[in-house]
Amino acid sequence: MIGRVAWLLARPGTGGLAPLALPATAFAIVTALLLTVLGGAQSFWSWTDDMGVTYQALAVVALVLLVVPLSSLGGAAARLSARRRDDRLATLRLLGATPATVSALAVLESVVLAVVGAVAGVVLYFLLVPLIALIPFRGEPLGLDGVLLGLPALVGVVGGVALLAAASAVLGLRQVVISPLGVRTRQDAPKLHWLRIVVGLAVIAVAFGMMAVLQVAGSAMVILAMLGAAFGGTIAVLNLIGPWVIRLVARSQARRAKTPQRLLAARAVLESPKAAWRQVSGVAMTSFMAVFAGTGIALLGSFGEAADTESMLLFADIRTGILITVVGSFLMVACSVGVNQAASILDRADLSRSLGMLGMPTATMEAARRRSVMSPLRITAIGSAVTAAVVMLPLTGITIIVAPLSLAVIAAVLAAGIGVVWLGLVATKPMLERSASV
Amino acid sequence: MSSFVLEASGLVKSFGQTHALAGVDLRVRTGESLAIMGASGSGKTTLLHCLAGIVAPDTGTVAFQSGAGRVEVTALGERERSRLRREAFGFVFQQGLLIPELTAVENVALALMLNGMPRARAEEYGGGWLAALGLAGMEDRRIGQLSGGQAQRVAIARAQVTGAAVVFADEPTGALDSATSAEVMRALLDSTTGQGRTLVVVTHDADVAGRCSRIVDMRDGRIVGERVPAGASAEAGA
Ligand SMILES: Nc1ncnc2c1ncn2[C@@H]1O[C@H](COP(=O)(O)OP(=O)(O)OP(=O)(O)O)[C@@H](O)[C@H]1O
Ligand SMILES: [Mg+2]
Repeated sequence: MIGRVAWLLARPGTGGLAPLALPATAFAIVTALLLTVLGGAQSFWSWTDDMGVTYQALAVVALVLLVVPLSSLGGAAARLSARRRDDRLATLRLLGATPATVSALAVLESVVLAVVGAVAGVVLYFLLVPLIALIPFRGEPLGLDGVLLGLPALVGVVGGVALLAAASAVLGLRQVVISPLGVRTRQDAPKLHWLRIVVGLAVIAVAFGMMAVLQVAGSAMVILAMLGAAFGGTIAVLNLIGPWVIRLVARSQARRAKTPQRLLAARAVLESPKAAWRQVSGVAMTSFMAVFAGTGIALLGSFGEAADTESMLLFADIRTGILITVVGSFLMVACSVGVNQAASILDRADLSRSLGMLGMPTATMEAARRRSVMSPLRITAIGSAVTAAVVMLPLTGITIIVAPLSLAVIAAVLAAGIGVVWLGLVATKPMLERSASV
Repeated sequence: MSSFVLEASGLVKSFGQTHALAGVDLRVRTGESLAIMGASGSGKTTLLHCLAGIVAPDTGTVAFQSGAGRVEVTALGERERSRLRREAFGFVFQQGLLIPELTAVENVALALMLNGMPRARAEEYGGGWLAALGLAGMEDRRIGQLSGGQAQRVAIARAQVTGAAVVFADEPTGALDSATSAEVMRALLDSTTGQGRTLVVVTHDADVAGRCSRIVDMRDGRIVGERVPAGASAEAGA
């Protein structure tokens, strides 16, 4: 019985193959990037000398930085695959399928899609390996042996991705199980508590303080731990405050909106500031990194003259590492914007079609959609960059932050981040046009 | 004398092997309420879409007569048809298909804002229509906070607010119980023919059709009959 129903649900619906292919593709990209990052990190662990430890510590920082966009992409993929069936599952539930059957089906399908995607991702990773092996660290390429992961790691990652999909499906579908009509009845827009901002500011103050005492902290491990805590804490704060600020701004935009696209965009953001945030939070990370990278590179440059060869190599490698982290994070941001947009376009296909019938130009819908992503993006990018600059201030001083080289790197990375999101939007434009055509 | 607001002749529309419309001639009088009935798949929605310039027929013509003159709908490009729909027509679908994140009054005002009216005035007008349809005090509710019948009345307000010459409704009461359905139909008629405007409604519901001034029956992509519902003749002549 479950098998038959699962097949009924799995058949491509009116949306064509896209609802199946999109999450699978996203899972493939998540897997490939995760394996790539792990492969690179693994090669660092083969070094056992003193410098090796420094590299390992830096690799941990890079991994932490990449976890945020990675998990947001994974979440987007899982949500997309779960949401696709929400409606049909609600129907099933109305027809009398037991909650257990509904849950089992949802999880089953998400997991199947995730595993298919993840296996494709492993293949993609093998295609990337020769390229990663060429990346130079400590004066020589990493080499195939270093970056090639063993079978346990591969199996572990595929399993992890499947688990993520299952968890997301269970969470996403709890409402359907609780109330058969849950999916169809939309509740009021969620409210966020002002307490967030208080907690957030407190954590940033602590991070600021930690950075101020960093120079006198003594051992390298303590410094790295404090650096990590300050970064992690600030990122967590951005996650806490981001949606709140986005909501605040969108509310005033909704009040002041004069054109249909502005009104639609602001209301779309207000509908779920958290979702708006999730979509661009990867860019918060990259703006954060932009400040980090910009000041770091300027700082390293200022040491240039005095340093010995080993330090020079380390500086060059840090630059390489920063570059890789930024690029990887951009890739994931672009993918999650694409996946999120695709999901919301599919979700709203009926509505877009009806608006087209009413005579709303597709250009207006497209403008509203763009604005609903780009406006939170601007807030996020600028807000995160400023926060990062504040936290870095005690460490580098204002002269380094406003040095031309820092500012140039920061501006370039921010511009690239915004451009990447814009690409994700442009890439999904044909989907909107198709779904709005009457 | 009666003038025709819409004149369709020789409409043919096929989807692959399916002949959704197999030669339809239809004239819609200004100020009448016309019900289109027929079995599922007989071509009602396709006819409505052709009349409203949503889809272009394979052959045949549709002309729209307004105060501003006569427009050959079938000769217009997609962009111009879209503008015609926005400015001269109103639509009510089976499911309200309102924008869920907007409030009731914003949904209505949006139709005016798309035609360039400033927001404050658009919301004032929209609020007026909502009140006229018995939704006073619900302007700031989001669509999810309204009942099916209330949401449908918001959709009616949206279809009316631009002063549409013709309102097209495709099974506007299809998702409602019979009591709510009667209320919605009354609201729809009051705000269209009651104001000298024209209503074209596709329906399966004999009660709904019975409230209109004229009924055409469709079968296999053709109009096979025309009737005047009992008790409607007096109104129709007015
Ligand atoms: N976009 C389309 N693509 C293919 N076939 C279509 C399309 N639209 C309508 N048809 C076909 O054209 C015929 C008429 O469809 P139409 O929607 O006009 O019927 P209807 O009378 O409105 O039916 P219902 O009462 O079920 O809404 C049907 O056989 C339908 O399958
Ligand atoms: Mg129909």
